[in-house]
Amino acid sequence: MIGTYVLRDDLHLATPPPHPSEAPVHNPNPLATTLSPPSAGTKLSLVVLAPRQHSYSRLYKLDTTTSTRSQVPPSIQESPHETNSQASDAGSHHANGVAPTPSNELHAPAFGEGNPSLALLNGKEAKDPLKRRKPKSNIVKSNSSFVSRVIPHEALNKRLQEHSTDGIYAFANINRALQWLDLSSPTKEEHMTKILFTKAHALCHDINHVTKSSNHIDIAMGFSTGDIIWYEPMSQKYVRINKNGVINNSAVVSIRWVPSSENHFLAAHMDGSLVVYDKEKEDALFIAEDQAPAPEVAPHEPEHKAALAIKKSVNSKNQKTNPVAYWKISNSKTNDFSFSPDCRHLAVVSEDGSFRIIDYLKEQLLHVFNSYYGGLICVCWSPDGRYVVTGGQDDLVSIWSLEESMLVARCQGHNSWVTACAFDPWRCDERNYRFGTVGEDCRLLLWDFSVGMLHRPRAASVRQRGSIASATLKMQRTRTDGSTTRLRSSSNLTAATQDDAEVVHPVEPRARTAILPPVMAKKIDEHPLCWLGFEEDCIITSCNSGHIRTYDRPKEGAGSDTPSTTSASASNS
Amino acid sequence: MTSFFGRFKPGTSPASPASANPPTKKDPNAPQPTPLEKLLVDAGPIRADGSDKFFGFENFGSTCYCNSIVQCLYYSVPFREQVINYPSRSPPEALERPANGALPRLNTDLLANGNGRNSAISPGGGRNSMSGPSPRKPATTPGAAPTGPPGTKPEDNKESPEYKKKAAMAAGPILAMDYENSQAYGMSESLFTSLKDIFEAVIAHRSRIGVVSPNKFLEILRRDNEVFRTPMHQDAHEFLNLLLNEVVENVEHYSKNRITDVSESDSNGLTVTSGKVVPDQSSTFSANNSGWVHELFEGTLTSETRCLTCENTSQRDEAFLDLSVDLDQHSSVTSCLRKFSEEEMLCERNKFHCDNCGGLQEAEKRMKIKRLPKILALHLKRFKYTEDLQRLQKLFHRVVYPYYLRLFNTTDDAEDPDRLYELYAVVVHIGGGPYHGHYVSIIKTQDRGWLLFDDEMVEPVDKAYVRNFFGGENVLACAYVLFYQETTLEAMQKEQEAEGLAAAKEASSQVPVEPLSPKSNGNGVANGHSHTAFSPTTPVVEVDDQFASLNHAATAPVTAEPHHPLENMVTSIPILSPKKSNVGTKKEKADRAREEKERKAAEKELEKQAKAKRKEMEVKRRENYRKQEEDLRQALAASKASAAEEDAKRKDEPSQTAPDAGETQKENVHLHSKEKEKEKDKEKEKGGGLSRFRHSSMSIRHKPKFWPGAAKEKHESENEVHGSTGGGTDSEQTQTPDKHEKEKSKNRFSLGRKKSTFHL
Repeated sequence: MIGTYVLRDDLHLATPPPHPSEAPVHNPNPLATTLSPPSAGTKLSLVVLAPRQHSYSRLYKLDTTTSTRSQVPPSIQESPHETNSQASDAGSHHANGVAPTPSNELHAPAFGEGNPSLALLNGKEAKDPLKRRKPKSNIVKSNSSFVSRVIPHEALNKRLQEHSTDGIYAFANINRALQWLDLSSPTKEEHMTKILFTKAHALCHDINHVTKSSNHIDIAMGFSTGDIIWYEPMSQKYVRINKNGVINNSAVVSIRWVPSSENHFLAAHMDGSLVVYDKEKEDALFIAEDQAPAPEVAPHEPEHKAALAIKKSVNSKNQKTNPVAYWKISNSKTNDFSFSPDCRHLAVVSEDGSFRIIDYLKEQLLHVFNSYYGGLICVCWSPDGRYVVTGGQDDLVSIWSLEESMLVARCQGHNSWVTACAFDPWRCDERNYRFGTVGEDCRLLLWDFSVGMLHRPRAASVRQRGSIASATLKMQRTRTDGSTTRLRSSSNLTAATQDDAEVVHPVEPRARTAILPPVMAKKIDEHPLCWLGFEEDCIITSCNSGHIRTYDRPKEGAGSDTPSTTSASASNS
Repeated sequence: MTSFFGRFKPGTSPASPASANPPTKKDPNAPQPTPLEKLLVDAGPIRADGSDKFFGFENFGSTCYCNSIVQCLYYSVPFREQVINYPSRSPPEALERPANGALPRLNTDLLANGNGRNSAISPGGGRNSMSGPSPRKPATTPGAAPTGPPGTKPEDNKESPEYKKKAAMAAGPILAMDYENSQAYGMSESLFTSLKDIFEAVIAHRSRIGVVSPNKFLEILRRDNEVFRTPMHQDAHEFLNLLLNEVVENVEHYSKNRITDVSESDSNGLTVTSGKVVPDQSSTFSANNSGWVHELFEGTLTSETRCLTCENTSQRDEAFLDLSVDLDQHSSVTSCLRKFSEEEMLCERNKFHCDNCGGLQEAEKRMKIKRLPKILALHLKRFKYTEDLQRLQKLFHRVVYPYYLRLFNTTDDAEDPDRLYELYAVVVHIGGGPYHGHYVSIIKTQDRGWLLFDDEMVEPVDKAYVRNFFGGENVLACAYVLFYQETTLEAMQKEQEAEGLAAAKEASSQVPVEPLSPKSNGNGVANGHSHTAFSPTTPVVEVDDQFASLNHAATAPVTAEPHHPLENMVTSIPILSPKKSNVGTKKEKADRAREEKERKAAEKELEKQAKAKRKEMEVKRRENYRKQEEDLRQALAASKASAAEEDAKRKDEPSQTAPDAGETQKENVHLHSKEKEKEKDKEKEKGGGLSRFRHSSMSIRHKPKFWPGAAKEKHESENEVHGSTGGGTDSEQTQTPDKHEKEKSKNRFSLGRKKSTFHL
């Protein structure tokens, strides 16, 4: 036993009863075909107000003594896949920096930079950069039927003053409630403010880390009704965007501020649309602007899947109203997305099992990968942007390399679907990575991998049986005669159509993929877990029924985390 | 909606020649078609392959186990094809001219429900007396339905399953499967022939929707299997197992007969003597392909046993038609399958008889899949024998299942180890315990999306609906048998595209007037199908009314309750896990209490009715059964004799592996009743390791539980299952909480590994 995470506390958020106007329909029929509205377990958005660098960028352990730094990029560039795709260029460009420094972010052009119509508006509004603009309406006094009740803490102002700038504020949704919590307060179980919505559930929310200050927090929330709220908790002001779904009426399942943007955030709607909104712009009925004929016209084309339908480009001249940009990535439900740390790429996972890498600056789809089977539920980037981790309904956590544009390893260990994943930036350096995952199996798993391991020749596989070609032949021989097309041939994993082979990657057979076991696995809850976050001194998890658990990191007594190339950061020894 | 049932369904099959014919009572105020009818409104001409037929199955009192399974089999495309084409397909003419006495008696006449049917059979005979027609009769009279059951407010129960079932019966057409055409197939009467009768009748019928009364099928089932003779609740998985084995047996029996017939007298085969239109040649041809059930459902398991004394590894292949997997709370089907193939120790009372060193030894055993079946029937073992209670109990564990699946637990030399499966059917058990409840199935049809088959009722449901049956606390309805079928990545992607397009279309056709309605932003994948829009809501019903209308089905979803009409079977244990989520507010509690009251009232009412009904049916059934048996004895004497002969013959030919497997399975099936399983569990405890190998039904129900208490700990510490290399496990032990520290360690976890390794 080298390090032990100890439960610090377990905060339980009560699930609010349905709004009185929403008479609870008690259906005695367990087979009732009524669909319940989409809901999500408790998820958290954390923010520390102290002017620290963006959480990720400050985490590189550049000061650690690693002798081999210079060797890293070559080993990556030797990848045979490298020349295959544009992504590699972008990726390796950034990988050459080994561990991109925060300044790297500045190299990436801002989203929509080349569009004068966007710049114009932005420029006009940036009168006083220090004074943040607040939303218009007061949520406490609001008479909107959307908001049911707002319950600020009686001593809110006092608590605001007492809050240390190093302390963590958390925003947590549970059912139709959203709670603002001060996790560093001794009375943290008392919410700072609790908002009850009438009917809509906040499924996702995100805090803008660019605009936060001691008297300003921008938070964007996406709702089951499709509505979005931009909320500023300090002043209790809010604005409702995509009101009644005027732009897109399907639920918002994931929402994130565009990196280093003050105003723009990206919302993933359930119908497979990704929409960029400006928090300060008005809604307008959205009419698709795509010049090219809609892909729906030719659904039979195999390339269809490889396309990113740009229904409104960020470069569109019409930027007076929302949306800023509107992309349709597929017709399947998007489950999660994540911006790369270099602020160029977007990783999107969907219910159909697809995992896409999009260059959102150029509005280009770079890669489409697929899960082993089943939908993908969560996605996150390694702090250096080289790897992407996904988790899904195949109980697997998959590690993908952006530079090599390939699956690196599958991580086996969950006993059920993987619902959330996150890198632990405090345990990552430029060669070793630590990430954690939680799942429906109520367990928290921690995983370590290092660059060296991932480059082990995979041909050494004992279980490899023959080439794929011969396997395919075999499969064709055994195909059923006279059965329908659905059953006709077996699952040729390698059968990617030639046309979009560059973009769409086939599913890797199990025999050819490295398998990674977890370094730690532990059941930590009675309910399926749905969120996980790493902080400097703790791991925080939350579950479907509103338990927020904080685990202290192992005490640093055994020496600070001094990762060397040999001892991975698997422990704090 | 009500009066719509009164008329025949011409609208649903516009292209069918039938539509011109029927004496339709066009109700001017016919309000609304059922969701299923809406779904089928634009259907083209009826297909010959039966893929566009959506018939409910009548429930004769707790026969839902049969209905749900038969539906799942019908919608397996290859299975249906094989059934109707083996030994040969009845020619369409045969099915079109029901009047022709020489031809199979099929109920294809389009006269109003029931009339024609009754003329086709001896009126007082067979089905009527057996099936207890009294509850149905009023319903079948066309006029009856619109008015609804007397004394009820139709508005109240229109959405109740009971109402819909009645309505479905009233609407018809009803295919009374009380005849059999086995002679036409050149086969002796069997479960297979009656299944084939049903399939062919459904396919041949000109209506797309209706209700099948599987009288003959049940009759044969009950005649041959004592277990199913009672009107009690039966295990759907047991029935599936039995049915598949019976079909295997019937088919093989026939093909053996044919081979001998053909060789002995080329021209005087059964086909000729029976005077049917069946062309001799083609029947011979297809008859040779008797292994199709095996081809579809059978896979091979390899059990590797390594004797820890002599290190000798012995391998044994076993065929299986379905896999029974143990369940863990909060797990997935993937994980259950993985557990299934985990290494286990044969020790203590369960030692392994090693041929090499002779005698009982400790050994390691693991079972992996060597040959993957085309259709993977996964039985989730929700009914578990509990030692303390001395009986079976239902496990309400939440076990998630994905729409697509691959198997991790294959052997290294398995062919196509990455085969992709798609979920196509789910059999759901609703109820608090194993001895009562209700079964329904949710099935993905070829091009009409997912449908709910609840006895007589067929209703389109959203794709997301399939996910309502993962189970969990307070969830009475949970998946019990999952059917996965082989598919390809391309097929999957194509389907997903289509689903997405349908959803998009629906969305675009929807004016965003009501964006607040939960429906408009459905549940994700949710809006996969265009029929989402009219997925009906089931409002609260006054339970009394609801049950007043229920004079037909003895088991209904609402009965899904800890307590059940069958009092003698009632378990006194509160079935719902007493663990309550601590989020319950007072209000919820109050609601629950109220609900509980309602339920209890409902139960009582139902109990009364069910009892009465049961009694009545029992009497009738017995009467009928006696009568039937008389007739059958004579009719079947000949064929039985030959069957016995064949059986004997077959037993003498162990070289044929496939039939052999089927046979052993059959034997196993006879032991399948739950009581027997209890015995077996006990037996297992005493028994040696080898005895376990005799059970060839791969129900791993016999997988011993070595560490009753330690089992949990075991998987806690073995957090991963990886391939053959075991390098990673070493450090995991450190995480195993020390027993003394359990409480403490519950809230902490630790890292035990310095370095993780990759397993290649």
